[in-house]
Amino acid sequence: MKTKGRLHTGYKPYIFLLPSVVFLAIFTYYPIYYSVRYSFTSFNLFSPKPVFNGFENYISLFNNEVFWEVVINNIIYAVFTIFPTMILALLLAILVNETKKFKSVIELGLFYPMLIPMAAAAMIWVFMLDPGIGVINKFLGLIGLPEPGWLGDDKAAIWALIIMAIWKNVGYFMLIYLAGLQNIPNHLYEAAEIEGAGWWRKHFTITFPLVSPSTIFVFIVSIIQSFKVFTQIHLMTKGGPGYSTTVLVYYIYENAFNYWDIGTAAALTTILIISLLFLVIMVFGVFGKKVHYSLS
Amino acid sequence: MKKGNLMFVLLLVFVLTTGVFAESVELSFYYPVGVSGPLARVIDQMTAEFTELHPDIKIQPVYCGNYNDTMQKVQTAVMSQDPPDIAVVEVSELYSLLAMDALLPLDDYINSENEDFINQYWEAFFGNAVANDQIWGFPFQRSTPVFYWNKELFQKHADELYAVGLSPERAPKTWDEVVQYADILTEKNGDDTEVYGLILPGGWNDWIFEAFVRQNESFLIDQENSIANFDSQEALQALLLWYKLTNEMHVSPPLRPWNMTITDFVAGDAAMMYYSTGGMPTVRKTANFDFEVAFLPMHYTYGTPVGGGDFHIFKGISKEKQDAAWEFIKFMTNPKNAAKWSMESGYVCVNKEGYDLPEMQEFMDDFPQMWTAANQLQYSYPKMMAVNYQQIRKIMTTNLDDVMLGNKSPEKALETMQREIQKILDMYNR
Repeated sequence: MKTKGRLHTGYKPYIFLLPSVVFLAIFTYYPIYYSVRYSFTSFNLFSPKPVFNGFENYISLFNNEVFWEVVINNIIYAVFTIFPTMILALLLAILVNETKKFKSVIELGLFYPMLIPMAAAAMIWVFMLDPGIGVINKFLGLIGLPEPGWLGDDKAAIWALIIMAIWKNVGYFMLIYLAGLQNIPNHLYEAAEIEGAGWWRKHFTITFPLVSPSTIFVFIVSIIQSFKVFTQIHLMTKGGPGYSTTVLVYYIYENAFNYWDIGTAAALTTILIISLLFLVIMVFGVFGKKVHYSLS
Repeated sequence: MKKGNLMFVLLLVFVLTTGVFAESVELSFYYPVGVSGPLARVIDQMTAEFTELHPDIKIQPVYCGNYNDTMQKVQTAVMSQDPPDIAVVEVSELYSLLAMDALLPLDDYINSENEDFINQYWEAFFGNAVANDQIWGFPFQRSTPVFYWNKELFQKHADELYAVGLSPERAPKTWDEVVQYADILTEKNGDDTEVYGLILPGGWNDWIFEAFVRQNESFLIDQENSIANFDSQEALQALLLWYKLTNEMHVSPPLRPWNMTITDFVAGDAAMMYYSTGGMPTVRKTANFDFEVAFLPMHYTYGTPVGGGDFHIFKGISKEKQDAAWEFIKFMTNPKNAAKWSMESGYVCVNKEGYDLPEMQEFMDDFPQMWTAANQLQYSYPKMMAVNYQQIRKIMTTNLDDVMLGNKSPEKALETMQREIQKILDMYNR
C-alpha cells in the first residue's frame, strides 16, 4: 500500500503545527525550563533574588520527612483511586453494554458526577462527610458501622478524598470502556457461548484483552490525574489534618505561595515532572507491547 | 507640520499631567477578617466615611480572606513588584515583610505628630510593631486570647464544684483549677462525650500554646528572632498539660477547628474555651445563656501574647500615596473609629481615649466582659515574630495537632519543633 502522496511531504504539516507549538512553548515548555532553572537556586524570603546553590534544594527535600510523607500520601492516593476506578469502570461498562432498556439513562446517570464542577462537588462532599450533620455518617450509623471523623481525622481524611475521586471519575472511564466494547465483534461472544463459556469466562478471555487499548489510555489518564489533584484538597482539607492529605501539587503550592520558597517549589515541580514522565514511559513500554489493537 | 506635532505633544503632556494632579490619590487597602462576623461591611463603611472627609483620597478596600490568605496575597504582590499601598497582616509576619524589604518605617510620621499623639495608644501593642529600633506597623485589630466560661453549665454542676471547694461563680484561676473544673464540667454518656469541660482550639493553637508558655515565665522565640526555645522544661510542662486534658482525661476534644470551637461553645457543647477576644460579639449575639470572660488562668504568672493585625505602609509607592496612607491610618485609629471598630469586632480598642467616649462607655457598661481583654493587657507580651512565620506556624500547628490527636508524644513534638524552627531562624541569621 503506497499512500505517500503530496500531502504528506514537505513543509506544510509543520506550518499547520506551528500555532500549537508556539502556544505550548509559551505556556508549557518555557515555564518548565524556568522551574528547572529555579530548582537549582536559593530563591525565597531569605534571598529574594535567585542565587545558584546546586542540588541543595533537592538534598534538603530528600532529608525532609515531610517530603516523604507527601510522596507516600500521593502514592496511596494514586494506587487506591486508579485501580478501583478502573475495575469499577470496566465492570459498569460491561453491565451497561448488556442492558437492553434504559441504556442511555443509566449511562447518563453514571456519567453525571463528571459534569459537576469540581469546586461544587467538593463543597457537596464537605457537607456529606461532616461527622455531625453529614448524610454519610447518618447512614453508616443506621446500619451499625463505625462513623469516622472523615475530613477532621488524620487517618480517614485521605480515604474520604479517594472515595470522592472514584465517584467523580468512574463515569468518564466507563464511557471510554463502553466505546472500547463497541469495537469487539459480536461473533466472538457467540462462538464462546456455543462452546459453553460462562459470563466470567467470556469476559476474561475476550473482553479484557480486547479492551486493552482503552485500558492503557484510562491508566495513563488516571495516573496523571491522581498526581495533579489539587482543587478538592485546597477546598476540603487544605492538606490537613497535619500533612495527612498533602499531596505533591498541594505541597508545591504551599511552598511557593505560603512560604514564598520558590527554589524548593521549583525542585518539587521538577521531581514531579520527571517522575510523571518516567511513569508514563514505563506504562507505555511495559504494557504497550501487550496491547491488542486488532484481532489479527 | 513638525511644529504642529510638537505643539500637540506638549498640549497632550500638559493635559495629562494636570489631569493627574487634579485626580485624587487612590489607595489599595488589603485586609483580612480574622474573626467571624460581617466585618467587611464595617470596613467599607469606615473607608467611605474617610473619603467624605478627604475627597482627594480614595480608598479601595480589598478583602483578602483570613490572615493566611491575606499574607499570601501581600507576599505575592510585593514579590511581583506591585505592592498594595496599605495592608493589615497578622503581627507575626513583620519579619517576613522586612526580609522582603517591603515596608516603610513610620517613625518620621509618628514624630511629625504632636507629643500627645502616640500616648493615646496602648504601649503593649507596639511590641509587635518595632524591629531594629524602628516602628514598622501601627496597631489596628489587636486581640488576646481570653478565657470564656458558660455560667449556666457552671451552675448546673454547682454542688460538685462546692464539694471540692470550688465555686460556680468564678472561672478557674490556675492551671490546676482548670483541670479540676474541666473534669467536673465534662458530661459523658457511656463512650459519648455530651459536654466537654474545655476546648483547647486548633488552628491557632500556636498562639494559645505561646500563652501557656508565657504563664510559665518562658518564651518560644526570643525578641531578636534568633533562638528557638521549644525544648525547655517550661514548654514541656505546658504541652504535658494539653496532653493530659485531651488524651488522658478526655475533657477537651482532640483538635477542634478554630471556627468550630466558637460554635461548640455557643451550642453549650463545651463549658469553657480559650479563644480570641474577637469572638466576643459572636458569642454575645448567638449564645442563649449567660457567659463570662476571665483572664487566662495563671501558672507561675498570668501571661498572654497579644495577636491580631497591624497596619503597614509599603515601600515602592509614591510619596503622595504614603502620606495619604498615613492619614488613613490616623483616621482609622482615632478615638471614635477605634472605639467603633472595637464595638463591632470585639478587638481591644487600640486608642485609650476611645474608652472615654460616651457611646463606648455605654457599650462597655452593657458588655462588661469586654473590659477583661483591656485589663489583661498588663500581663501581655508581644506575640512571637519571625521570618517565614507561615512555615513556623505550620510546623507548630501540625506538631501540636499531632500531640492533641495522640499521634506524637509531647517530648517528641517539642524536639521536632525545636529542630525545624531553629533551622529556619538560622537561615535568617547566617
